[in-house]
Amino acid sequence: MASPIADLTYRNYDGPLEPAMNRWWAIAKLSIKLSIKKKGFWLWASMSAFWYVILLIVFYFNDSVTQNVGPAAQKLSLMNNLIWKDQFLNSFSESQLFLFILALLTGAGTIANDNRAKALLVYLSKPCSKLDYVIGKWMGIFIPITLVTAIPAIVFYVYCLMSYRALGFWTQDPWLIVKLCLMVLIPGITYSSITLAISSLFQQGRLAGGVFAGVYFISYFVTLAMEGFNASQQMQGQSPPDIVKNLFYCSVDGIQIGMAKVILGTNGSPKLPFPGQMGKNLIVPAPSGWIIVPIFLLICGVSVLLAWSQIRAVEVVN
Amino acid sequence: MTVATIQNLVVQYGNFTALNGFSCEIQEGCTGLLGPNGAGKTTLIKTILGFIKPTSGTATVLGYDMATAGKSIRQKVGLMPEQDCHIPGTSAVQFVAYAGELAGMPEGQAIRRAHEVLDYCGLGEARYRNVETYSTGMKQRIKLAQALVHGPKLLLLDEPTNGLDPAGREEMLDLVRSVSHGKGLSVLVSSHLLPDIERVCDRVIVVMKGQLRAQGTIKELKSLEGRPIDVELRENSPTFVTALQSKGIMVMPPKRTTYRIQMPGIPEEVAKVVYQTARETGAQVRGFVVAERSLEDAFLEAISAQ
Repeated sequence: MASPIADLTYRNYDGPLEPAMNRWWAIAKLSIKLSIKKKGFWLWASMSAFWYVILLIVFYFNDSVTQNVGPAAQKLSLMNNLIWKDQFLNSFSESQLFLFILALLTGAGTIANDNRAKALLVYLSKPCSKLDYVIGKWMGIFIPITLVTAIPAIVFYVYCLMSYRALGFWTQDPWLIVKLCLMVLIPGITYSSITLAISSLFQQGRLAGGVFAGVYFISYFVTLAMEGFNASQQMQGQSPPDIVKNLFYCSVDGIQIGMAKVILGTNGSPKLPFPGQMGKNLIVPAPSGWIIVPIFLLICGVSVLLAWSQIRAVEVVN
Repeated sequence: MTVATIQNLVVQYGNFTALNGFSCEIQEGCTGLLGPNGAGKTTLIKTILGFIKPTSGTATVLGYDMATAGKSIRQKVGLMPEQDCHIPGTSAVQFVAYAGELAGMPEGQAIRRAHEVLDYCGLGEARYRNVETYSTGMKQRIKLAQALVHGPKLLLLDEPTNGLDPAGREEMLDLVRSVSHGKGLSVLVSSHLLPDIERVCDRVIVVMKGQLRAQGTIKELKSLEGRPIDVELRENSPTFVTALQSKGIMVMPPKRTTYRIQMPGIPEEVAKVVYQTARETGAQVRGFVVAERSLEDAFLEAISAQ
């Protein structure tokens, strides 16, 4: 029984209303809330920054050793020949697998679970359009993934700016921060577009996740194979054919790494465990921006359009 | 006052015509949308909300044109769909508040209002439970709560008692009756269950094969042509019948001790003649009511008419 002071009568709502333009934000906000409630989100988000942590540890020991040993050691310091923007590129490349897992957690079920629960009847019976829904769902994946990519990159940038200006961090590329701001958008755009499209095709989040993982790993295998082929050709002193370089970027990971190389304006440099010639053999030159940027935009655009076309409140059989 | 006006609405799914030149007026209050399965009731609701584009025809809902002001209509309309639907991974209060936010309510207002509406729908105790764990009856209630949260002026209820046990059905009907009377809210209840409609609605619209077959108040639909009167006697009295017939009154064969009589004039005049005749013939009158048919008979007549 209700308490005597509880007023359970129905009253009409005549309070304030948000502008119609803001409906997508309500959808994005709930998607983000549901994502960050998952423990896995925080685990994989932390893991995605592991390369920055490794770099910081290496820099710390390098600084300690050079300070203790003196000028002779400083000449041999790792920092002298470091290309700073490549450290961001390497960290970006290494975080790809973790960002993929995050996209799987946050995005695979975003529309598929709504299809299962017939939630579109709720969304579209409110003053909320298909466009609001698609933008809201897209942003619900884009915002967390972008923040997870951006926060460690910016923290690392600020740390390097404060600590290594004398070692050319600023002078090597004064526009690095702008390039980084563009680079950190790439995983968010890629994963939100692709997962949205795949998710919209299914009625079960797990099925959508399985298909997304399949697409990711099959295409990743192509990138790995091309990387290996490229390295073996280079070790034999031969230049790999162009098709190898292009196919390297034909994967979910590859296209993002290619875009990052184009934005940063670098081919990359050996990662820390593989310095010297061995590391150089693993480097695949940056793709042409005139080719990869339109392909990237096309893939993302088509994915969003596919999701858009799948969204309807009721199944109409013609 | 008219809440919605629909004129010559045609909706086709390929070659199948679901609504065929359907026209009707939905008045303020509680209106039942009656029709057998596949008559076009749900199609009508989905078309009003803009889920399905009509082939032709026009509709005005709460003064807004269906073709051009879909969003404005949905701002003022609440839908309780027939199928189970919810937002995955949310508790009841999150779900209902979210429905409010989707309708444009600020977050704080939406949460406050969600608590109010959940209390009203009888889900106050279960508000923090995940909706996916709810029973069928609770799922029906939560659908009603999410439809009510933004304070609609017109509520569309599609088979609100589907899958409910008798007690749950009674509670849901009480809730619908309560919300549709004296709250400034008009309700359109789509159902094929005549007792449900008769219990909560004031008016009905009968749909069959995508066409309007009848509309009006339940009383009008149940009334019989010529306004006959049922007169119940203590026991059968052939002298009473003969005396009435001699006065030019038509008397139909009795059902037990009840005679259906028909004569021109208002019921008061008829009553005067009946009581006078009873006094003259020594018959004891036990009942005197204006005869009406059941809603089921009215419905069957409406859907069988070509």
